[in-house]
Amino acid sequence: MTMSWKKLSLVMCLAVSLTSGCKTRDRPSAGPGRSEGDWLLAHMLSDPEQLNPLTSNDAGASTVLGFIFQSLLTRDPRTLELKPLLAEARPVISENKLTYTFKIRRDALFQDGRPLTGEDVLFSLKAIKCPLVNAPFLRVYYDSVVDARLLDPFTIQFDTREPYFLNESVLGGIDVLPRHYYDPDDLLHNVTVPKLIGAEGSLSENVKRFAEQFNKNYTRKPLGSGPYRFFKWETGQEVILERHDAYWGMGKEGIDQPHLYLFRFRIINNMDAALVSLKSGGLDFMSLQPLQYLRQTGSKRFESEFAKYVYFSPGYTYIGWNNAHPIFRDKRVRQAMTYLTNREQMVKTVLFGLGQVVDSPIYYFRPEYDRSLKSTPYDPQKALELLREAGWADTDGDGLLDNVIDGKKTPFRFEIKFNSGNSTRSSVALTLQDELKRHGIAATVRQLDWTIFLDDVRNHKFDAMILGWSMSVNEPDAFQVWHSSQAANNGSNMIGYNNPRVDKILEAYRREFDPGKRIALYRAFQQILHDEQPYTFLFIGKAVSAVQRRFHGVEVLPSGGLRPIEWWVPLSEQKYTGRPEA
Amino acid sequence: MSAGKASLQGSAQNGGTLVGTAGSNRGAGYWSLVWRQFRRDRLAMAGLTVVAGLFVVAIFADFLANDKPYYMRYQGASYFPIFRSYLVQMGVGKWPPELLNVDFKELEGETKVFPPIPYRSNNIDLRAPFADPSPEHWLGTDKLGRDVMAGVVHGSRISLFIGFVSVGISLTIGIVLGALAGFFGSWVDLLISRLFELMLAIPTFFLLITIAALLPPSIFLTMSVIGMTSWVGIARFTRNEFLKIRNLDYVTAAIALGVSNRQVMFRHILPNALAPVMVSVVLGIAAAILVESSLSFLGIGVPADLVTWGSILNEARSNSFAWWLAVFPGLAIFITVLAYYLVGEGLRDALDPRLRGS
Amino acid sequence: MWRYIVQRLVLFIPTFLGITLIGFLIMHLAPGDPADLLAGGGLGAAAGEGISLEKRGTVDQALAQWRAQYGLDRPLHVQYGYWLKNLFTLNFGDSFKDNQPVAVKILDRLPVTLTLNILSIILVYLIAIPLGIYSATHSYSLGDQATTLAAFILFSLPVVWAGTMALVFLCGGDFYYWFPPAALTSIDYSPQWPLWWKIQDRAWHLFMPVLLLSYSGFAGLSRYMRTGMREVLEQDFVRTARAKGLAERVVIFKHVLRNSLIPMVTILASILPGLIGGSIIIETIFSIPGLGQLGYQAVLARDYPTVMALFTVSSMLALIGILLSDILLTVVDPRIAFGRREV
Repeated sequence: MTMSWKKLSLVMCLAVSLTSGCKTRDRPSAGPGRSEGDWLLAHMLSDPEQLNPLTSNDAGASTVLGFIFQSLLTRDPRTLELKPLLAEARPVISENKLTYTFKIRRDALFQDGRPLTGEDVLFSLKAIKCPLVNAPFLRVYYDSVVDARLLDPFTIQFDTREPYFLNESVLGGIDVLPRHYYDPDDLLHNVTVPKLIGAEGSLSENVKRFAEQFNKNYTRKPLGSGPYRFFKWETGQEVILERHDAYWGMGKEGIDQPHLYLFRFRIINNMDAALVSLKSGGLDFMSLQPLQYLRQTGSKRFESEFAKYVYFSPGYTYIGWNNAHPIFRDKRVRQAMTYLTNREQMVKTVLFGLGQVVDSPIYYFRPEYDRSLKSTPYDPQKALELLREAGWADTDGDGLLDNVIDGKKTPFRFEIKFNSGNSTRSSVALTLQDELKRHGIAATVRQLDWTIFLDDVRNHKFDAMILGWSMSVNEPDAFQVWHSSQAANNGSNMIGYNNPRVDKILEAYRREFDPGKRIALYRAFQQILHDEQPYTFLFIGKAVSAVQRRFHGVEVLPSGGLRPIEWWVPLSEQKYTGRPEA
Repeated sequence: MSAGKASLQGSAQNGGTLVGTAGSNRGAGYWSLVWRQFRRDRLAMAGLTVVAGLFVVAIFADFLANDKPYYMRYQGASYFPIFRSYLVQMGVGKWPPELLNVDFKELEGETKVFPPIPYRSNNIDLRAPFADPSPEHWLGTDKLGRDVMAGVVHGSRISLFIGFVSVGISLTIGIVLGALAGFFGSWVDLLISRLFELMLAIPTFFLLITIAALLPPSIFLTMSVIGMTSWVGIARFTRNEFLKIRNLDYVTAAIALGVSNRQVMFRHILPNALAPVMVSVVLGIAAAILVESSLSFLGIGVPADLVTWGSILNEARSNSFAWWLAVFPGLAIFITVLAYYLVGEGLRDALDPRLRGS
Repeated sequence: MWRYIVQRLVLFIPTFLGITLIGFLIMHLAPGDPADLLAGGGLGAAAGEGISLEKRGTVDQALAQWRAQYGLDRPLHVQYGYWLKNLFTLNFGDSFKDNQPVAVKILDRLPVTLTLNILSIILVYLIAIPLGIYSATHSYSLGDQATTLAAFILFSLPVVWAGTMALVFLCGGDFYYWFPPAALTSIDYSPQWPLWWKIQDRAWHLFMPVLLLSYSGFAGLSRYMRTGMREVLEQDFVRTARAKGLAERVVIFKHVLRNSLIPMVTILASILPGLIGGSIIIETIFSIPGLGQLGYQAVLARDYPTVMALFTVSSMLALIGILLSDILLTVVDPRIAFGRREV
């Protein structure tokens, strides 16, 4: 599904040069004469749940699988343009924008030596579409694809449901699985894509058998076409990938060349233990927590051994106001709440300065982001003015503001919900509570277990909640979060936002294939959102990584963070040689 | 089993029951005997002093650490904000409008007399996160600028509260079940003993984590669950005592006289059976405090805006450079638990008649 | 005696069912279920940036499908029934997290937790028994008081505190690097290593965790030993032995000790129940892949089959432990044996 390059780092970003405190390597990366060899010991916070590319759900698995699987198209890490990988070129798109035709490279091979053909691509799509395969979200993501067929063994054609400019990216992002490995008995051979769509009840025996074995038997031994091959997974200890020496892309133009022999992802559940391991040579590469970056990695010794990289991670944290709630129905109240949230100070204290205040749901460094929006400052006076305008005042001297809503006298009391295990959100909630207390607003905080929290949020059972969205650096599509149709059925529009003008803009945007026109549409969208403040947008965070200095070619990329696949170690500095036995 | 063998076995397990004085009413004379023996144990007395000290701190927490002053002269009038806050909490007082929702430290009053620690445990100060221990913040601050000393002082209230309520719950359950089992014997005993087995076999900590992690965090839930999983020891001791005492003459006499079962159990037998249970109670309080700190350490069981010793320790885990977050609350837990253990062990020794006179 | 054992075993059954029922009810009655977790992007999303926009979309169908797949849409008693039925074939089901058979996952981690606990028990007994003997024979001396105080200090030291301090100060990082901070083996561990190397490496990694797991046991067990032994020392037969002129050492080690060890043996069996829950904290702090860690993560991930399996295994161990303890007491303590024979 998502591009393989994206899975190389756990966080993504853009615009390296804008980041403060960023220490890029002095040595020039690039050029021939890069030596092969050595191992990279990377940190992984917990075991991936499983390594089946379709059914896995967690970031750890994504990272690992990103080295193993490839797709038809990929994004250039520097220009962010789509470019062909397993395909020979970008697809031919029909006039009505509904049909995409891809020609597949003839020289691509899977890691067991077998050739990669259109059959494998078609199989991969069918596996996604099969309702019994344990990948409901992926299936929803590919909802727009309605049919596919092979025009010849190396040409595949897809039909999509409606014109949507992101379809090319979606189709180009299908991870190509080897049919002969994942479906050795070719059970899906006679099933066509349309038959699989929504057909749950009436599926043939073959399909059922396929789904069962696909879900169960492939969780620990992935096989793809990428430059790194799965070697071992020692539960609770590490996942090891080794370089596929017979990689089809070796020596070819425009394709990432793998230099390092081994990637060892060491599983250490505890960030402190991980830092200790880094310092004592047990790890070469890990993400640092803000405090670790600021306070525990400043020694001379550390600086001489490791280089630190700071970059933005696309994703923002926000306070979601339940737009149907009697108190928060009024946009003046929501605006007031934003004036009362000292976001700059939160970035300084809660994020330790590693972040940036944002005012819109679009990624800050994308062209679609409206830089002309005036960021709401922390201004309690203005907030109180707005609240007075909305009818709030302390009429009974008990220290709490109150108002008459729907004929009833209502004190300004509400509850902020957030999930446990997240220190940032907890800090935001407590800070907000403290601030509001001083102005006569009584907020209670309620910390819930993640699944319970999600349940409540999806069913709109909250007054206010703190959550985050993580995105990619690719073209945004705000439909899923802001369109009114997405408020029902546990959709992503959890605050129940409903604005017909916005709905129209979001729909038009999806059909628009001209980037310039898309930007204009989203400008209008953001202006409306800024006025209505359905969320109080908080900030995007910066991520920090430390890399052992013997690795060359390390740089922060526009595509998001670091790409270990580009790294290499000069022979004289290599630390580990050879390969481990199985 | 004969009474002699039973008492040998019983004493091996609970370190002291009164053999030989069975039949006499263990009245005031008995407990003063115990007290005298207790007093001779220096360690136990030290423990008792600390326990008492903790009580004082817990009760007077509001006067030791508060963001309101004891006394303030403001715009010509005198105020006693701390007392006033008590009145407001009880519902019988109100804040005058000029003092509503104000930050007392910023008020321009003529005189202000603040408590030694001028913060409450939940006062957020985003300008001073992770401050080192200093004259301003004696034990430093946490990630939101909350004063650690205030947290330790107010945290004592919560820890003691949790300790006492949990043990109270397990005491109630344990005594009732143990009494029933010991008094009635036969199938009642059989059934209740199965229950003991069940409770012993359940992986309690695991159960605790399961419940605390899944349900919305609240200290009441935590206390109840701790209480409901730790009553077996008390129940067993009670049962054993009841089994022994039940066969004694004075009890047989009481039953023959027609005293109701309930009266016999709770008015005649129970007061004499309590001795070993006391030890369990004291040790139980310490154990409950330890369990709560373990749960907070894992980040479950306590609501986000409540500052407890365990929650500060949890913060220390992800911020290990901030050693003051680990050392001081950890020290507080340690000293408290140690004190209770010393008292408990001292009590056990004092209750053991064979240790007298040595 | 056999009749007694069989009797007890039969009585275990309701207890066992009771425990599993409790575990089942708690997991299922708690709000939230594994489908919700999967829908939210797994646990990673909770702690991290947030829910991925890529993988969202209307969730209802997804949830329904997952629930059906796991059999979560059937009524509770039916689910329990199925689970019990599977239990008879020792089929603990497949984990919700990764579809691996739970039995395999548990067996994978069992040796680790067992090693940890067995080493810990050995260490505790090795230290506590001599300490207890010393305390009992030199009661109220300065040495005894010091030992007592030390024991209490250890007993009161919260493991969460001691463990974190150990990790930060002794295991690399900015202070000392005496022991490794995580895992069971070094990075360049290889099965080709000579046995001696492997043992050394293991020992180095396990030292801190085992020590932390054991220190509170030193206190508890030595106190127990002390009390028990002191009681025996009061007895007539000891006075007789001394009167006979036997050397004190012989009295202690030949006569007293044997009788004092009886309760210690029974304590051994009571350690079994703590096998799973006892090491959760240590395993978390030191990232050790044992049963405790498995259990904790399974709870958070709503992985019902794993949690139920752990509950079951743990309670079975505990019940066996209780039975063993009673049997051992019968066998080892001649007084009870005699009593029984007379009857």
